[in-house]
Amino acid sequence: MFPILSLILATLLLGTILTFLSGERARWVALLTSVAFLAEVAGLLGSFTGWAGAVNGVPSFSAQESYSWISISWLHVNYTVGVDGISLTLILLTAFLQIATVVYSWEEERHPAAWFGLLLLTCLGCFGVFIALDILLFFLFWEAVLVPMFFLIGYWGGPRRRYAALKFFVYTHVASVVMLVALLSVAFYARAPSLDFADVARAAGSGPGALVGAAPVVMFVALFFGFGVKFPIVPFHTWLPDAHVEAPTGGSVLLAGLLLKLGGYGLIRWGAELLPHAFAIATPLLFFVALLSIVWGSLVALAQRDLKRLVAFSSINHMGIVLLAIAVNSQLGLTAAVLLMFAHGVVSALLFMVAGSVHHTFGTRDLASLRGITPTTPMLSVMTMVGALASLGLPALISFPAEFAALLATWDRLGYWVFVPLVILVVTAAFYIWMMQRLLFGPPKGIPEKAHDLPWYEAAGMGMLVALIVLYGVLPGLLVNVITNSPVRMLGS
Amino acid sequence: MGDVLSLAAFAPEALVLAGALLILLLDALEVRKLELFAGISLVASFGALLLVVADLGFAPLHLLAGVPASAIDLPPTTSALWGFSSLGLIFQAVFLLATFLVSLGSLSRPSDEKGSAVFFALLLIATVGMLLAAIAADLIFLLLAIEVVGISTYLLVGYTRRDPRGLEAAMKFYIVGALSSALSFFGASLLFGAYGSTNLTVLSQATGTVGYPALALIGYALLIAGVGFKVTAVPFHAWAVDVYDGAPDDVTAFLAGGSKKVGVFAFFLVFIGPLTILDRPCASAACATPFHFAPTLQLALALLSLLTMTVGNVLALLQREMKRMLAYSSISQAGYMLLGIAIGTSPALAGATFQVFAHVFMKLGAFLVVAAVAGLGIGPLIEDWRGLGLRRPWLGVAFALMLLSLAGVPLTVGFVSKFVLFSAAVQAQGLFVWLAVAGLLNSALSVFYYARVLRVLYMESPDDAPAPTPPSSNGLPLGGLGYGRAAAIGLCAVAIVAIGVYPQPVLSAIQSAASHFALTGA
Repeated sequence: MFPILSLILATLLLGTILTFLSGERARWVALLTSVAFLAEVAGLLGSFTGWAGAVNGVPSFSAQESYSWISISWLHVNYTVGVDGISLTLILLTAFLQIATVVYSWEEERHPAAWFGLLLLTCLGCFGVFIALDILLFFLFWEAVLVPMFFLIGYWGGPRRRYAALKFFVYTHVASVVMLVALLSVAFYARAPSLDFADVARAAGSGPGALVGAAPVVMFVALFFGFGVKFPIVPFHTWLPDAHVEAPTGGSVLLAGLLLKLGGYGLIRWGAELLPHAFAIATPLLFFVALLSIVWGSLVALAQRDLKRLVAFSSINHMGIVLLAIAVNSQLGLTAAVLLMFAHGVVSALLFMVAGSVHHTFGTRDLASLRGITPTTPMLSVMTMVGALASLGLPALISFPAEFAALLATWDRLGYWVFVPLVILVVTAAFYIWMMQRLLFGPPKGIPEKAHDLPWYEAAGMGMLVALIVLYGVLPGLLVNVITNSPVRMLGS
Repeated sequence: MGDVLSLAAFAPEALVLAGALLILLLDALEVRKLELFAGISLVASFGALLLVVADLGFAPLHLLAGVPASAIDLPPTTSALWGFSSLGLIFQAVFLLATFLVSLGSLSRPSDEKGSAVFFALLLIATVGMLLAAIAADLIFLLLAIEVVGISTYLLVGYTRRDPRGLEAAMKFYIVGALSSALSFFGASLLFGAYGSTNLTVLSQATGTVGYPALALIGYALLIAGVGFKVTAVPFHAWAVDVYDGAPDDVTAFLAGGSKKVGVFAFFLVFIGPLTILDRPCASAACATPFHFAPTLQLALALLSLLTMTVGNVLALLQREMKRMLAYSSISQAGYMLLGIAIGTSPALAGATFQVFAHVFMKLGAFLVVAAVAGLGIGPLIEDWRGLGLRRPWLGVAFALMLLSLAGVPLTVGFVSKFVLFSAAVQAQGLFVWLAVAGLLNSALSVFYYARVLRVLYMESPDDAPAPTPPSSNGLPLGGLGYGRAAAIGLCAVAIVAIGVYPQPVLSAIQSAASHFALTGA
């Protein structure tokens, strides 16, 4: 079979290296790489026969490749990659966000080669996480995302960037270390023949080393912690607002749009699918944490004056709904979770771009000192409005079908508890509407003389995301059809 | 074994020794050229390296002598002083690699420097001691070989004779070294008293057959302390930072990347035998006696390893000088190697050995960078390195790779070593999983201070850095870096990535050697 995944990986790798080396022309190389990446992903999507189904209970994937990498008597690591509907949806998100971020930050002046190279490297790492089907390979890409993000925040960030970069790195690194030990424990306690996902899943489920009793639950909780910090779940979320506020706009976009999705993807693939029984036992914990994150994120967002902090806390709220949908563990719930991750990826990316543009157009993001920007910057206002309305779940925009499905799935499982997230949705709507009212409308205040509307590249970057928000809002079936058979495979019919 | 064979098998040691003698002879004849001495050192170490690697892969020396390749990894006899194990050969290769890289880096020393003959001769003699330690089959032979390394390195630390800090470091090193030797030899004599032999095979089998007299436990405890000094295990580490800090930079590179590792192999030789008794079927009634000290030893080593990692890391966090920070990080890395010994299974041995191998490129390379940066006229504080990564991109990238590798970031050799080691801990199951968690949390802690250096290198503006004073007039090319040092640093950086991406050949050689080693016990 044609090794399309390796081809995409090679494209990204080559593009990243060339970008680092090409000085002032880096933006063109980065754009070219992004276009090639998107084209290849489109090809992958076109050839996705999908729904390979479960063969004798073994999870199977499309476009799978496997080569031996490390093979010694007791340790067998393979370069094994493959996709299913879930990872494919998130890969599509990666491709869209990469190109939008590259275009948005077109005029980056400080070390453009390093800037665009690090952007591409982050996306490369995320792509790797989504295709990796081996514990070592997965961990490798998982960690590979940290390094470029550390530099993006630490060099191009705001005044407290060094503190934020270090906090981000240490928090997420501790989490990934715990995750690695948990994954290795699953593999070695289950006596898996290799560290491949399929081998480990099979060995943990049945066979001589099948995991029973308390051990798999402990391992799952460790995994949940590892993935949860990336989510981020309350109370391990404190790195996120700091990282976002200090990160440059492009860094924030990738952080919210892609990095948070790694946590959700990891929990679905390497948590729920690897240890289904332990996952079922730990479900109450997941529900509790999800509801806590939803309530906490939303209420704290209400109190923010900084536009970026507001969006950051609303991310915690939205990712809480993703966790809720994952914990429901039904076909509808998992589909909704993936759809919502895609939706949140696009919408939060747009909102962080808005926050970035507001900041360098008006010199502040303080909602209390800025009023009525619409007459000065009509285009920016439109973008703000689309982002806010999409985020609060207006029908015909992308978040609506996802949130609706997530709540429906929650109702099936939890009954009246669904009113907790429902009430919170009203709060979310409230703080977005209030934000729009303060920022966009009313008599202008705090607007500098020289303020002018969006430059073409920022408008183009945001425009792409707006198009996606509307397209998939009207036709969510385009994504649902890709996702839908993976939960069937995971949960059995 | 015939005499011819014995001589042929000692070819690497002989080559290195010949190099040392040649340098001393040339010095006596008043031919004093740094490049010449360095060249001899390079040829000797590289030639010996080729011989060892060839020995490991194809055993041609033994074939030449008319003996089958199986002469390596023979079950050890109970009277031999030395024996060739493939794990020992791997350690020899690591030692020679360290000597080679240090010699290459030392090409950039001031060429009119006095005492360069002494430097290279001592370097090679220390290497001979290290090579001999790696083939020891007898405890006294082992300790004598370590003594050869010790005496040459005490002299190396103080060889410039002008720098009072170097002299103080040499003095400290000497006193602590003498104490550690005394402890080790006393421990060996107690073991001789308990078991009637100092042969390592006899000792490792004795715990299974003769029993566990308290005398032997005390003997092993003294050996842990004595050899613990050599590998800078906490609480026997206090000397290391001052010595590393005070020694000339190239010598520090050799101490941290090379000679310290002799202690690790000594730990292998002395303790793996008694520890693996745990896994062997019980041969006599003695095993059933309640005073079974292998678990005690194991626990002691595990605690030693935990303490070493943690203390090294915590103290490294507090350092303001680059060299001292790296010295403490070197202590913590020794903790990871001890972890492998405490676990004692063949995967863990392989992990520890790979860590030793990886450490050559990361830590030795990092100290060579310190030497290079000092040559650029930049101060010793971490802050003084502000913006260096932007001003000197290639040097910056190489140093960043070394730090990332030390921190265990994927696609570096340091990651592979930690991955194998911690996988081995998890694979050993039970309490070792918690050791793995502790070790990994430690490695997360270490990220703090490595990331801090990266931050200084890349995120702090070079504008507010003090203008580097031009290096003293020693006419170094490449703006003070020097070709030799640049080449050595480059080699380390390339190896970190190349072996990090594709570790299979090295790893499988190490694993098969470790399996043999755990099987035969010595």
